[in-house]
Amino acid sequence: MATTTITKTEKLVGKAMRRQEDPRLITGSATYVDDIQMPGMLHACILRSPHGAANIKSVDIAAALAHPGVAAVYVGKDTEKVGPVPCGASLPGLRVPHHYVLAIDRVYFIGHPVAVVVATDKYIARDAVDLIEVEYETLQAVTDPEKAIGPGAPPVHPEWPDNVAFNYHQEGGDVDTAFAQAEVVVKQRITSQRLIPSSMETRGVVADYNTGDKALTIWSSTQIPHLMRTLVAQMLGAPEHKVRVVTPEVGGGFGSKLNVYAEEALMGFVAMKLGQPVKWIESRRENCMCTIHGRGHVDYFEVAAKKDGTILGIKLKLIQDLGAYHQLLTPAIPTLSVLMMPGLYRCQNVRADIVGAFTNAVPTDAYRGAGRPEATHGIERMVDILAAELKMDPAEIRLKNFIHNDEFPYATGTGLSYDSGNYAAPLHKAMDLIDYHNLREEQRQARSQGRLMGIGLSTYGEICAFGPSPATPAGGWESATVKIEPSGMVTVMTGSSPHGQGEETTFAQITADELGVGIDDVIVLHGDTAIVQYGIGTFGSRGTAVGGTAVYFALQELKKKIKKYGAMLLESEEVSFSDGVCVDHKTGKSVTLAEIAGASHRAMKLPPGTQPGMVETYFWEPPNFAFPFGAHAVVTEVNRETGDIEIKRYVAVDDCGNIINPLIVAGQVHGGVVQGLGQALWEQAVYDDNGQLITGEFMDYAIPRASMIPWIETEHTVTPSPVNPLGVKGVGEAGTIGCSPAVVNSVVDALSTLGVRHIDMPMTPEKIWNLMEGARA
Amino acid sequence: MISQQFEYSAPATLQEALDLLANEGAKPLAGGMSLIPMMKLRLAAPEQLIDIGRLRELNYIRREGEQMHIGAGTTHWDVESSPIVRAHCPLLSETVSNIGDIQVRNRGTIGGSAAHADPSADYPAAFCALEAQFKLVKKGGERVVGASDFFVDMLTTALESGEIIAEVIVPVEQRGTGVSYQKCVQPASGFAIVGVAVRVSSEFVRIGVTGLGAKAYRATNAEEIYTSTHDAAKAAAVVADGADSNSDIHASASYRKHLARIYTQRALKEAASRMG
Amino acid sequence: MKISGSYTVPIPRDEAYKLLQDPVILAKCMPGTDHLEKIGEDEYEMKMKMAIASFSGLFTGKVKIADAHPPDNFMLLVEGSGKVGFLKGSGLLNLTPQEGATEVKYEGDVQVGGTIAAVGQRLLESTSKMIIKKFFEKFAEAATQPTT
Repeated sequence: MATTTITKTEKLVGKAMRRQEDPRLITGSATYVDDIQMPGMLHACILRSPHGAANIKSVDIAAALAHPGVAAVYVGKDTEKVGPVPCGASLPGLRVPHHYVLAIDRVYFIGHPVAVVVATDKYIARDAVDLIEVEYETLQAVTDPEKAIGPGAPPVHPEWPDNVAFNYHQEGGDVDTAFAQAEVVVKQRITSQRLIPSSMETRGVVADYNTGDKALTIWSSTQIPHLMRTLVAQMLGAPEHKVRVVTPEVGGGFGSKLNVYAEEALMGFVAMKLGQPVKWIESRRENCMCTIHGRGHVDYFEVAAKKDGTILGIKLKLIQDLGAYHQLLTPAIPTLSVLMMPGLYRCQNVRADIVGAFTNAVPTDAYRGAGRPEATHGIERMVDILAAELKMDPAEIRLKNFIHNDEFPYATGTGLSYDSGNYAAPLHKAMDLIDYHNLREEQRQARSQGRLMGIGLSTYGEICAFGPSPATPAGGWESATVKIEPSGMVTVMTGSSPHGQGEETTFAQITADELGVGIDDVIVLHGDTAIVQYGIGTFGSRGTAVGGTAVYFALQELKKKIKKYGAMLLESEEVSFSDGVCVDHKTGKSVTLAEIAGASHRAMKLPPGTQPGMVETYFWEPPNFAFPFGAHAVVTEVNRETGDIEIKRYVAVDDCGNIINPLIVAGQVHGGVVQGLGQALWEQAVYDDNGQLITGEFMDYAIPRASMIPWIETEHTVTPSPVNPLGVKGVGEAGTIGCSPAVVNSVVDALSTLGVRHIDMPMTPEKIWNLMEGARA
Repeated sequence: MISQQFEYSAPATLQEALDLLANEGAKPLAGGMSLIPMMKLRLAAPEQLIDIGRLRELNYIRREGEQMHIGAGTTHWDVESSPIVRAHCPLLSETVSNIGDIQVRNRGTIGGSAAHADPSADYPAAFCALEAQFKLVKKGGERVVGASDFFVDMLTTALESGEIIAEVIVPVEQRGTGVSYQKCVQPASGFAIVGVAVRVSSEFVRIGVTGLGAKAYRATNAEEIYTSTHDAAKAAAVVADGADSNSDIHASASYRKHLARIYTQRALKEAASRMG
Repeated sequence: MKISGSYTVPIPRDEAYKLLQDPVILAKCMPGTDHLEKIGEDEYEMKMKMAIASFSGLFTGKVKIADAHPPDNFMLLVEGSGKVGFLKGSGLLNLTPQEGATEVKYEGDVQVGGTIAAVGQRLLESTSKMIIKKFFEKFAEAATQPTT
């Protein structure tokens, strides 16, 4: 029965709407991996290395196997043929260690999986893990990336004693001339510490093998169900069409679930061996130790400039802490930093050298921003350092160097083409909101009273909407299918796999507007390879810009078909379709979408050359990335007694192009800023010299809490992207990218009267206090 | 994050609980805010848990003359929200409102916090400043121990095997006494890097310090200087003297000592301003 | 983690030096240990049941005495491992005579791994200090008791 009978004119795109997915999330009726129960399901628990580096002399599983309730115990040699855990990134000369799903004769980082116990319940599995006896011969570990590539460091992989996984060089323009002509050169070592992504839901896998069909189903908390299906099938030597990956609700990923991990193949292996379903749920301890970490940069920046502040050239030596292995995109992440290193500035002369360093630590990989926060932090710190050197105002030096509005599309010295921009607009807006000029006066007064008040700016750009396929390892397009059911209800199937981004709402908004139906008449399905056509996934701020655009194009195709059926039903040559109705303007007669959908399924009569049914699928290949930008402004005050930092004002002005749902965009900016504050002020994954992760729990790893967060004032400028017809750019990572340099710039500004020029993150009170004590001495 | 197997009993009466606790391997469970995480990490593996957190006999707040009696099973939130505590022992109200987060305060108990004796817990600073008394009970015995004797070392108290805290006794604050609890929060755990509890009146001053050393203590040297000089800065300057300061990634020993001095000064000033 | 400190024990230096290497005395003073099994020259194996308040763990380990320079100093190497982690400690003990007593200065390095290192970070240093303190308290007690 048709329900959409009234003409709908209210547009939903642009409207702040509550999320369609929220009722199930906040009432506990959503299904996560750990909610899956199956008859005869076994439970797995993994024994992990307590050492950062050690040879495995022996593994004795006899007592564990004999433990009542234990179904199986597997060690490295049992799973030797599974895998390896894939590295999807390729760089010239990249050294790729063979990453077994279980360690065979050596462990390379704390938490490295050594054996898996499978038992009738999770308690027995955990008890039996304690019954496995492993004899280790401990080896010297190295966890500091600079020490790792320095002389005398113990080799992480004995076959590559220099611990160098790759060297990467990129250059644009004429750097040497730029530096030779420079009137001033500023240099600074800037670090971006290791961070633990800390999604609310840890990872988890359920695997079920149907021995009759020889078909494997894997439920996993992942951002990339289709890529996982392809890769896990390869790892297990299983035919891809007989592997199904289901992504139920995913409680956050932040990039850490943009990966294929050992456990996914391992559970597939167990299910295939035993012919019984098996579940593994990662503990929080394991999540801290064994899920990828983010960042891990040591950057040596040099910026050449003229005395008037014109930036002439930028050099960067980047040491990336890779950890012991490459996960899916590990070595690619720092190359994104290089692409973004000139920031928003008209500087063509750039040179970057990356050294990828193996360390005895869990691999680093994509974490909210993935390479761009590091780059932005670097260039935005350097611009402030240059401004201080030249005694220029940090806003003025930025405005002087911005790419001009008439220069877009702008080819950067790093090979990108910035699609659009109006970089001064968000900076001016942020400065107005925070009352920049009066603030500087207030700061002068504060300083005369001995107070340490700081004002910090960052202006950032980002590479979003990943991305054109040639620039991504596994395809950068996205897919969408839109079906109109016989009743006129609409089902959208997206190949992107949202996990908190609210795309069930934004895609429904786009669909509702295009088809002229209500938002509740649309359902958005995703995350099941048996239901949804192949897709790439959700990461790199691509969900709406690429996935949403695919939905948009599928809808355009569908509208053509709707009009054909409409014309047939109205016996007209020329009909229009809008607001859910096909109208013959000559006769004034109309037919509703529901009537058309019904007719297309009953198929009593077909328009010429047209198939029954009402389904269209579109695979959209973006011609370019999209390049959002913005400006953050932060006022801080440092307590002279304790080194505590108080954030007095936080203003974030983002330009993410057209906005589909302002409520969701605000939420993304808030969340992004919070994670940026986490890095700037509190979070750090700390390994000791022996490779022990001493921030292995939330008792010591300080993720931000609501009570620690200042009021975040958000505003926008709108510069639509020409890359896609929606004019959208992506906003998932913007807050994080803009945040950390603005906060550090603000605190450095506060302490500049004491001669402080740079502070590495996290800016703990003790670090600040030591700087103040140093200045007093 | 799965504990070893254990037996669990939830006795209906205190007497029954004490009988069960007399068994070797039995461990009392109150709010479980420290014990349960340790068990899940398998750093603690008691054979038998005796749940005393449900005993109504241990859940009360009473004023008797010049003393407040608080049952050991009283949750932090019950203490925090109690008008009687707010009126008669404001230092406890203020201190308890600084513990962890609301989830912890809903479960954690005053007796559990004292018995665990975490070197960074908030409550012990107040107990020291209040010269709290702990009524300890075991099968066939009862005794009262003062705070200075109760806290022995890191995670170590005067409690004997099979013995639990039944009640915490603190004085009713007299008119003219000002109090304050000042805390530097460890951002990950919410524990105190240092926490200083102060009571001050025209007659006396009491300073309790937590987080700095292996156990909370009364800074009598600082109290003496304050008594003779009424100078918060001078008194605070000696609060960390002789302390064997803790050190970890969140605060080195020297920074902790510095913070102890700063927070002591703040607490003294604020308490003095509240003497009214 | 570097640790150092000193304790004064109420016995003369020669005796302190001897007793600090006596497996029977060491077994009495090491926490949760009642017996040291000789496995080599100056090398012993042991089981330790460590218990600090709610924390408990079973460790198997070794003690070794090395670089002995009687009666001035020697190295004490201790290692233990259990399901909750492992620890390795090496300490140089320097003995200085005082009137009828001996000052024992120790300076060493403790390595801790596994769960205890990952989650016990904030308590590790205090715990080490407490264990060493208990060791010397028991030692002073054991050293002054008449041997049976």
